[in-house]
Amino acid sequence: MTENMSAPVRVVIVDDHAIFRSGLKTDLQDGIDVVGEAGTVDEAVEVVTREMPDVVLLDVHLPGGLGGGGREVINRCAALLGQVRFLALSVSDAASDVVSVIRAGARGYVTKSISGEEISSAVHRVAGGDAVFSPRLAGFVLDAFGTAVEDIADDELDKLSSRELEVMRLIARGYSYKEVAKELFISIKTVETHVSAVLRKLQLSNRYELSRWAAERRLL
Amino acid sequence: MNSSVQRPPLVRGGERMIAGVCSGLAAHLGWPVRYIRAGMVLAAFAGGAGVAFYGWLWLLVPTADEKTAKGAPRPASVIAPAVSGPSSGAGNGHGDDADRPGAAVPGAVRAFRAPFGKEILLGAGLLLLAATLIARQLGADVPLGTLIAVAAILGGAAIAWMQLDESRRDSLVDRARVRQAGGWGRLLAGLALVMAGVLVMVSGSGSWQQTWLALLASVAVLGGVALVLLPWGLKFWKDLEAERAARVRETERAEIAAHLHDSVLQTLALIQRRASAEQDVIRLARSQERELRTWLFGDHSRDAGRLADRIRAVAAEVEDNHGTPLDVVCVGDTDMTGRHEALVQAAREAMLNAARHGGGPVSVYLECSGGAAEVFVKDRGPGFDLDAVPDDRLGVKESIIGRMKRHGGTAAIMTGPGGTEVRLRLPAEDSAEPGDGDESKEETR
Repeated sequence: MTENMSAPVRVVIVDDHAIFRSGLKTDLQDGIDVVGEAGTVDEAVEVVTREMPDVVLLDVHLPGGLGGGGREVINRCAALLGQVRFLALSVSDAASDVVSVIRAGARGYVTKSISGEEISSAVHRVAGGDAVFSPRLAGFVLDAFGTAVEDIADDELDKLSSRELEVMRLIARGYSYKEVAKELFISIKTVETHVSAVLRKLQLSNRYELSRWAAERRLL
Repeated sequence: MNSSVQRPPLVRGGERMIAGVCSGLAAHLGWPVRYIRAGMVLAAFAGGAGVAFYGWLWLLVPTADEKTAKGAPRPASVIAPAVSGPSSGAGNGHGDDADRPGAAVPGAVRAFRAPFGKEILLGAGLLLLAATLIARQLGADVPLGTLIAVAAILGGAAIAWMQLDESRRDSLVDRARVRQAGGWGRLLAGLALVMAGVLVMVSGSGSWQQTWLALLASVAVLGGVALVLLPWGLKFWKDLEAERAARVRETERAEIAAHLHDSVLQTLALIQRRASAEQDVIRLARSQERELRTWLFGDHSRDAGRLADRIRAVAAEVEDNHGTPLDVVCVGDTDMTGRHEALVQAAREAMLNAARHGGGPVSVYLECSGGAAEVFVKDRGPGFDLDAVPDDRLGVKESIIGRMKRHGGTAAIMTGPGGTEVRLRLPAEDSAEPGDGDESKEETR
């Protein structure tokens, strides 16, 4: 993994439940330094701008601001997206919540029931510039882009390559990146490249199915 | 009053000659319906007391449907559409039947019974007419003019009142347009008949022209009255609509409160009492989380019972029984067939194995594409040696591999130190043969 042992990863935790924030703080393992916490949209924007952390663990549902929750935080910190990376945390299964923060610029999405070990490795991965996909997010991607390899899409952004499809399907099946790499006989680095490519497509694609799929779920 | 507590409530019955008054009375009093009917007919000859009594009960005693519709809360299913589009929901007629759960069955009974009532009435009327004509023929002095007027009034009233009976009254209020047209027609026909009868009677069966003029005048008066009362009527109608909408909202709020009470508060209470039993608390929290999630984010409009729902339900059951969390991800969906049921059962067996022996979270992935339905069940247990599983162990060999083969699918079990994954694949019916071959080779490599 892209763990940088020399300097700890600086993290800000944004969640409106103090009990969840403190639980998450104890869960995070060595090499991660929690430099700030926030409970509302406005607090989050302020803390993130002040601290300039490497990674922001961001709850999708947040009070305050204009009511946009995590997406609003990312939008208001858009200028920092090059240096600060966001990892969305949610209890929500709703596709609308997940995809809206991803399309706003989050580098990944994990559910709140994730273990301390997994969240730590996810933080390191995001800090290293990679994307973090939970099985559910991979499922959403497959739902939106379709599960068949197709050649008809004009825009490269609007379709997944067959390799990316394979990676997504394995992640949806619960494989870790390491297991995906082993299964497909590729390196972990290549898996990460594929996942990042899928994330970019998910964020930028104007694919008809994606917009239709989003519209069906009232995302647009 | 005291004794009536033990009696069935006084409602008009579904088994009816005219309006079900006698059968309702019979059920309420516990007497044979024949006696009641005979007594009613006898009383009718005693200066029309029976008729008056019958009419009175008809007006004041609700039917069984109305009684239950009033008492029962609205079913949950109609709440969502009623709230999202109150105007459209109230406007189109088909929401109306769904409101009353029992509407379909008694309706069928009524449709069966009603023609007899009508035929008997018609027959009685014709017999009466024949008797009158014969009496005239025999020289008896029958005041035909008065009789016709009285018959017109009675007939008109009957037509108008018939439609206000039972469900038709509801449909009139609910603005169910299809039936409403018929309802208005009946109302107008009844009104016209009654007016004509009254006029003929009042004018003493005078000349046709006089009657015609009087009819015109009364229509004009009625029109004037309607014009004056229309604003009041409209206001009243709007208030009624507003009250109905408010009631729907209130019912929905009560529904949410009831659900929260049932699931969340009960769970919190249970957790406090059993805080020491960690496994129980986790299991409880997990199952309640799942339930609430389905309730909040679930798509209620979608018809249940498709493949993804079945897989989720089976996973939930395994999770409840074994306390191991199962994460289910579904991509695509398809209608259930008998073969899909086999797939679900094989998947269930795989999930059971994973929950029993795997340990740690189990991942379940369902993918339905045009060609096939696939289920993957992955755990992170120590793995096992497939060849070492004795042949008499039905779990894996029979319930998973054998079952899938019998239904034209394939099953492969990949196991190793990192965990075990069961892969099930069921090709779609039409593409079963060609696609099947290469895929199974690849899967069982």
